[in-house]
Amino acid sequence: MPQTVIPETTYRERQAKLQEAMKEFGLSAIVLEPGPAMLYLTGVRWGKSERTFAVVLPAKGEPVWVLPGFEEMRARELIRPGDDIRIWQEDESPYERIVAGLKDRGVTTGKVGIDDAARFFVYDGIRKLAPRLEFTGATQTLKSAGVDLTPSGGRGR
Amino acid sequence: MNRRVFLAASTAGLLRAQTPTAGFANLKPMTGDIQPIGEGERLARMEKARRLMRENRIEAIVCQSGASLFYYTGVRWAAGGATLAWVLPAKGEAAWVISEAELDRARQAMRMSADRAGTNIRTWTGGDDAAYARMTQFLEERGAAGRIGIEEKASFALFDGLRRQAPALEFVSADPVTVGCRVIKSPAEIALLQRANDITIAAYRAAFPTLKEGMTNRELSANVAAAYRALGVTGDAMVIFGKYTAFPHGSIQPQRLREGDLVLVDDGCTVDGYQSDITRTVIFGKPTPRQRQVWDLERKAQDAALAAAKPGATCESVDWAARKVITDAGFGPGYRVPGLPHRTGHGIGLEGHEWTNLVKGNKTPLAPGMCFSNEPTIAIYGEFGVRLEDCMHITPEGARMFTAQSPAIDQPFG
Repeated sequence: MPQTVIPETTYRERQAKLQEAMKEFGLSAIVLEPGPAMLYLTGVRWGKSERTFAVVLPAKGEPVWVLPGFEEMRARELIRPGDDIRIWQEDESPYERIVAGLKDRGVTTGKVGIDDAARFFVYDGIRKLAPRLEFTGATQTLKSAGVDLTPSGGRGR
Repeated sequence: MNRRVFLAASTAGLLRAQTPTAGFANLKPMTGDIQPIGEGERLARMEKARRLMRENRIEAIVCQSGASLFYYTGVRWAAGGATLAWVLPAKGEAAWVISEAELDRARQAMRMSADRAGTNIRTWTGGDDAAYARMTQFLEERGAAGRIGIEEKASFALFDGLRRQAPALEFVSADPVTVGCRVIKSPAEIALLQRANDITIAAYRAAFPTLKEGMTNRELSANVAAAYRALGVTGDAMVIFGKYTAFPHGSIQPQRLREGDLVLVDDGCTVDGYQSDITRTVIFGKPTPRQRQVWDLERKAQDAALAAAKPGATCESVDWAARKVITDAGFGPGYRVPGLPHRTGHGIGLEGHEWTNLVKGNKTPLAPGMCFSNEPTIAIYGEFGVRLEDCMHITPEGARMFTAQSPAIDQPFG
């Protein structure tokens, strides 16, 4: 199957469109695990494992990537727009990195959208460190921004 | 390491498209006499779950799909929205909440169910909210008024739907219950894990002789997968050649085997749901003194973790034992490369990676029945990496490997 390379500007446009939708739906950020939404918005295809790998897309500002330290080299091959990559080592908490990323984008109160396909443990880790944030499913906002949520053929590498 | 989840879908087409270059006519299925987990054991697991619920003030747990669901019920169900959930209350019979449209398929999946063939089925039609309403209704019938445990890999959507239907309930992680059960393996589980490990060694033994100059890493992967099929199971292998062995999960760069390359093969197979995960690193041709020295150091680190894994020792002390061997030789420290960039091991059972981990900060004491991978990598970016991985189970006398360790850089099998 021929693969067309989607230019980086397309991902920037898609993210900008999502930021508009976030404002409309009153979300100050969206947190995504690997899956169709991450792929559509960033071009990053990654397998879900027990090691949290996530992107924080704020309503204002650049994305924040949170990923396992020893996967950094492999991940940098794939992450194009956005160079704010925060690694967590095996004995550290990825959720501290996610919450710090939210804070650095000015998100300390209000509503944050969570990927509905995200696993409960990822959300559970975040909410314990951010009791002042309110969390809601992101599907409606993602759909309104035209994000393709149909599972793709591959689950990444 | 275990990359099946990453690779399963992405390489499936490729593996099918290739004709195995190796004939494995001499391999016979090794699964004929396996003893699957019986109904009695699954019912005992549910009883233990109920006890852990009481101890942790959890009134019910909700499982959506995957390993925990299979662990308790014997039902395999791939994640697919709200179509199916299984609710086990601390008191009283469990219930299945299933989309009317999926009922036939669910009944098929329940043939082997330990939950009395799923006698207590609640169906729903319409949108996902109808599913959450049904689950809430069942929880209320069972008198739930406090904390409900959500299985760790259930979706945020399930939690969000439940809390909207039942705002008075508190939803917490079901880990104290599900992990509390799954982390200790029974003799029947250890026997299945043993078989999965034996099959992986048999597949590697069959496939490694197909290594030849110029072959791609994907060809060797395909040969291992073909050996698994001949042995009666489904399995995969991540294969890395040369300098890319320094990356624990490999690289997307194309790789062709050259004289003097290290070859790293990792992953495993599944026997009645139970996973193996074995890595061998072997030289193709003659090793350099540097390759041999680092390989020998890696073996020492694996030995140190094995020796440290005694009942009562903390998980982190096992990581420390392996890491110390590597840092004492001048690598690291910590996760720094060149050195050991990840934890020493992970739990293994129905998932290739499951709780609990041999990692700094984990003060959980080892107990008989726990199963772990033992895999301290030495990664030297720009040169090569070595990983030896065997899985071990904890006995009252100490840790016991499922498989014989690799004796030398040119001898993958002991």
